[in-house]
Amino acid sequence: MGDVSLKTLVAVFALLMLVACGHNIVVEGTIPTPRIAALPVNVGIHYSEEFRSFEHKEVIEDIGSWKISLGEQNYVFFRTLMETMFETTQEVPEPPSSPARLVGLDGFVVPEIEKYGFLTPGISGLNFYSASIHYRVTLFNSDGETVHEWQVVGYGKSETGLFNGDNALEEATVMAIRDGGARIAIDIPQAPSVLSWVAEVNGGAL
Amino acid sequence: MSSGDALVILGRASYNDREAEASFTKCLSDSVGEGRDPLRVVSEPEFKDLMYPWFEPRTAPTNIDELVKLFAQPGVRDQVETSQVRYIAWINGDTVTTGKGGSLACTLSTVGGGCFGVSFWEQDASYEASIWDLENMTSAGAISADATGTSYVAGVILPIPLVARPGNAACKALATQLKEFLLTEEP
Repeated sequence: MGDVSLKTLVAVFALLMLVACGHNIVVEGTIPTPRIAALPVNVGIHYSEEFRSFEHKEVIEDIGSWKISLGEQNYVFFRTLMETMFETTQEVPEPPSSPARLVGLDGFVVPEIEKYGFLTPGISGLNFYSASIHYRVTLFNSDGETVHEWQVVGYGKSETGLFNGDNALEEATVMAIRDGGARIAIDIPQAPSVLSWVAEVNGGAL
Repeated sequence: MSSGDALVILGRASYNDREAEASFTKCLSDSVGEGRDPLRVVSEPEFKDLMYPWFEPRTAPTNIDELVKLFAQPGVRDQVETSQVRYIAWINGDTVTTGKGGSLACTLSTVGGGCFGVSFWEQDASYEASIWDLENMTSAGAISADATGTSYVAGVILPIPLVARPGNAACKALATQLKEFLLTEEP
């Protein structure tokens, strides 16, 4: 009986330790609609399942484990971002494999998350949490050729109190999405290759 | 500054640990917007949301030339005029610990515990506000405030903190100067 009690205690203690060191963060928040002029084109957007449900899992020795679910928040923001950047958009389940499948579209866009990373004050020695998201956004024309490919790193940070690290990391991640979105919203419409493509689509006039 | 005009106070981001804390810009906004001769202040989050994506840490204009280019973007000037923001105060600076010393030891045992000794640290707060006039598209001026303070924790059984807040003092000093500057500025 004594053995059973000891084993139970050890198991409960181990479970408590596991729960105490595990961080399960679902990123939520609001990001405003960008105030930019839409490009006069009709594009398809392909959001992969991986993009829409992106999760970052990481175990750091002696510190704990993290599972950060940012896909949903990121997807919602990108839908708004793309709808603002282009005159008309429609989601496509797969990237069109041939020009024939691009009926009614001037091109299509594929946003991807290549990498997510974060730093805690314990790791960086600084008094804030920080997060970075490496995006790749590829724009194809109606022939399926690449017009341009952008690699954008969104970065965010959040100061923290002693016991709300998860909230600070969530806020830093929202700021990283916001920062990446700002770069995409400003850089893409100003890229010469995009301006040429838009002019071509519109018969030489913007 | 006319009665309908508003001011927004923005922290200049640097992406390292040496930048104006969000708590400092909030303190400054609150201090300028209350008391004698309060100014109309638009909060930093509200202004950034209103102007997204143009005033984010890595997209905000860093000088007047960039501001002029930004205002040429479709809708930007209209949005600023709608908000009635006439002035932006960009805040640079931070509060740093410049020295610490003393010795404070705390123990805890089955028969009790306590702290003995004295620990202290000195902090230096230094901030500058660069003021832009959005109507005339000019740099209207710059003001600054500095404050230092030493905090103590003395332990005689219980730790007794005596905390100085130089950041708070610098906030109040800068707020007073900012009010004076903008209230005497020609409309």
